[in-house]
Amino acid sequence: MIKKVNLDLVYIPSQDVVAREIEGVVIIVPIVSGIADIEDELFTLNETGKAIWQQLDGKKKLGEIIKSMAKKFSATPGEIREDVLGLTSELLRRRIIVKTPGGQD
Amino acid sequence: MSDPDVSWGEMKKKFFSKQLLAGLPLWKVLNDKRTLYSFELESTARCNLDCRHCYINLPAGDLEAKKNELSVEEITHIAGEATSLGAIWCLLTGGEPLLRKDFFAIYLALKKKGLLVSIFTNATLVTPEHIRFFMKYPPRNIEITVYGITRATYEEVTRKPGSYHAFRRGLDLLTEAGIPVTLKAMALRSNIHEMPEIIRFCRKSNAESFRFDPFLHLRYDGNPARNLEIIAERLSPEEVVALEKSYPPRFEALKKNCETLIHPDFKKVTSNRLFRCGIGDGNFCISYNGIFRFCSTLWHPDCVSDLRKGGVADAWNTLFGKVRSMESTRQEFTNNCRICSIKNLCTWCPANAYLETGQLDSLVDTFCRLAYAREKSLKN
Repeated sequence: MIKKVNLDLVYIPSQDVVAREIEGVVIIVPIVSGIADIEDELFTLNETGKAIWQQLDGKKKLGEIIKSMAKKFSATPGEIREDVLGLTSELLRRRIIVKTPGGQD
Repeated sequence: MSDPDVSWGEMKKKFFSKQLLAGLPLWKVLNDKRTLYSFELESTARCNLDCRHCYINLPAGDLEAKKNELSVEEITHIAGEATSLGAIWCLLTGGEPLLRKDFFAIYLALKKKGLLVSIFTNATLVTPEHIRFFMKYPPRNIEITVYGITRATYEEVTRKPGSYHAFRRGLDLLTEAGIPVTLKAMALRSNIHEMPEIIRFCRKSNAESFRFDPFLHLRYDGNPARNLEIIAERLSPEEVVALEKSYPPRFEALKKNCETLIHPDFKKVTSNRLFRCGIGDGNFCISYNGIFRFCSTLWHPDCVSDLRKGGVADAWNTLFGKVRSMESTRQEFTNNCRICSIKNLCTWCPANAYLETGQLDSLVDTFCRLAYAREKSLKN
């Protein structure tokens, strides 16, 4: 099921995962079942993924995060928007991030 | 944080990836340096069984031991320190970890630190409540030792009537729920007659990861009466070799690695360093009352640290240097174990020597005899 993120909403990491940074790599460790497709899977974020992850602090709307990333990278705003939306949609689909309480679609 | 000249297209490719645990490139990085990646937590020394060969068990109702067990808060703090040092895995063991009334709280405290938690259990205390819990918060793995596959043999080992039925019920609950279980075996005087059946039973569950252990080390607490029971359960060197030969995966592995296992160059070793294993390279162990060791069997007082008095980081860093640099110039060590060409076939190490003799650098005749028997069988 594709879950769509909303630019006007604020997202935060789910309490059902723990993000660990080890040797510069962010590993996302599920606490509950159903997040990984199979038991032996872990999720990792590279430096850019980590930068986006760190923006999901429960304060900034997704649209603001995209604008912030667009200032830092040389790609077109459209391309960055598409990629950040793609990443956060995947994270939302897997319940690795959730919208903050009170957020409405 | 970023270079505007770096292609977004290049960087985005690996934003987020899912990978199999075994294939993470991170492991290579960790292997190239001394990094903590796992620890064992003996959450209790108490057990509901009373196995003849056990090196740790105290009675389930031992109030003094129970009073001294690390609290959930202490465990949470230790786990936090361990994860700060890089730990990814945690083995929750005992005694019998499910014996603790706060088992669920301990387990969740470890999981919430981002640890992959495995459990060693005898499975006799597994209930539907445990199953619901593990299905919601899956462990990495649950390992269970199979002491026998008949009631008579199983309970000859455990000395608890009804324990076999409880073990089978617990195992069935876990496997029917699809919770990952690995079975293993201990080769004992009391169950050697049933070992072929035990091995077959275990391999039906996990053929590739199955292992059995014919070596019984002595008690952590040095209890002399219990040590005599353990010694009585030990197989003779000839029985160990016969058992290893009868199990092709193990014997083939020994034969394949023969050239590294029997090493004439060891005779040229001049260093008096006691510890020549990978001790302290990536793992540590904590007892139920907070005693830090680099190896679960290493109990010499100069090699341990009390975590109720000092932190994990201090033990991991400072104690490590001290232990790794320990030396012996005793002739018993320098003329024997230090230069033994078959030491890789032997169960000698300073930790085991200390449990056997009270000294880290003593020769242990029992170990020598097993090593010679193994050498003979490999050369033949």
